[in-house]
Amino acid sequence: MKRSLLAFGPPLILVILALTVWEGAKRLGGLPVFIPGPAQIWAELAGSPSLFFGNLWPTVTTAATGYGVAAVITVIGAAISAMLPPLRTPIYGLSITINAVPIIAKAPLLALWLGTGPSMHVIIVALTCQFPLLVGTLQGLGAADPRQREMLHSLSASPWQLLWHLRLPASLPYLFAGFRIAAPLAVLGAVTAEWAGANSGLGAMMLYALFSYDIAKVWLSVLACCLLSALAYGLWAVVERRIVTWDDGLDR
Amino acid sequence: MQFEGRGDPVLALDKVDLALPAGAFGAIIGPSGCGKSTLLRLVADIMQPKSGNIRIGGEAPREARRANGIGFVFQQPTLLPWKTVLQNVALPLSIAGRAAAARAVASPQQLVELVGLAGFEQALPGTLSGGMQQRAAIARALVLRPEILLLDEPFGALDEITRQRMNLELLRIWAEARATALLVTHSIAEAVFMADVIFVMSPRPGRITDTIEVPLPRPRALALMRTRPFFETVNRVRDALFGREAAEEVGEPAAGW
Repeated sequence: MKRSLLAFGPPLILVILALTVWEGAKRLGGLPVFIPGPAQIWAELAGSPSLFFGNLWPTVTTAATGYGVAAVITVIGAAISAMLPPLRTPIYGLSITINAVPIIAKAPLLALWLGTGPSMHVIIVALTCQFPLLVGTLQGLGAADPRQREMLHSLSASPWQLLWHLRLPASLPYLFAGFRIAAPLAVLGAVTAEWAGANSGLGAMMLYALFSYDIAKVWLSVLACCLLSALAYGLWAVVERRIVTWDDGLDR
Repeated sequence: MQFEGRGDPVLALDKVDLALPAGAFGAIIGPSGCGKSTLLRLVADIMQPKSGNIRIGGEAPREARRANGIGFVFQQPTLLPWKTVLQNVALPLSIAGRAAAARAVASPQQLVELVGLAGFEQALPGTLSGGMQQRAAIARALVLRPEILLLDEPFGALDEITRQRMNLELLRIWAEARATALLVTHSIAEAVFMADVIFVMSPRPGRITDTIEVPLPRPRALALMRTRPFFETVNRVRDALFGREAAEEVGEPAAGW
């Protein structure tokens, strides 16, 4: 426990140092008008916290819902393609195609088609983060060592026992890698979806602030997006470290 | 216990006839690619022959496998990295279910002690040396009291010194477990030191060219490796493997050893 707390030391010092330099540069007039200092951004947050959190919450729920929908669909898709090999190529191909269309192009198209309601937001999030989820799950399901499969065969394990004792645990490191990488993409998807049309959310707040030259508010919403992405990533990293306690031979 | 196999789709094995008495220690020796691992996999029902007949105590390999009559030790330890040593050793019990578990004579804990891993029960395989992992794999293969223990070059990945030590351990464990054992190896000295009977194989197609009885007493100690009967048996196996070459190139067959 102490060691993990110590691990937070160096990055924390770095952040404090960066904020100090940033604020110092601003006060000494070294930064242009459209780059506010940390104190200005903090004042923006402290001045109207209800506005900030009122916009933060819709983004969080949109991102989480879309991520959940994508996770369920891709895990089912990966399981199907693992059980029915002929379907692997079409499922994988569809996922690659969706991923190949830039999100900034997908969002307005879907907004035209589905309107600017919450369902459009959720769908854009799901489409944005589906690819790493599918790749991670697919790789994970194929990760079981053939020699270990032979070993379980020699023990006369049933298909369910094979799944429970080998395939599932062997898939976890890959599964978590995919889920971890997809988490920040869900935030990106939510913000982009809000850009394409929304009344609230960090993306909407960012856009309105941009149009009204409210520089501090733009920066506040951008920083909030960064923190949200990092938090989503970190959350999965923590869960992964709790569950995958063995040496899986993967570098990270 | 007896088995014989004939033919294979690609004719990997041809005219392989061998019989091993119950409780004996057999060794299969041959160059790489002679099909000795294939033969062992056929016995374990990991692979199925296109034609031929294998019997383990009167049972076909499939029945013997389903009745948990086969313990297989692979070239790699193949331990599940997310399970502790004790959980890995107990894995066959949790797969076979309660009925089979009731037949097991030794508990996983006792087997962990038998292979000399006491104190490492809760360790994850990734934290153990290769030799220790292979010991755990041997304990796992023994936990259901198999009729036959099949060993596919189990210590091939270990250094010579560790290997000697593991061979002695294996003989001690085998004597205590009272199972029939069949060891695949490409080391002549290892085959002679371990086995009661050695089956010599030649490649393309894999076939058994010679069966050599080992006239060494049990229990075996390292000192045996300095005795004349040991060298004579080693030379017989070498002659069987290399034919006339073995004698010609040195001039004299090593009779003066």
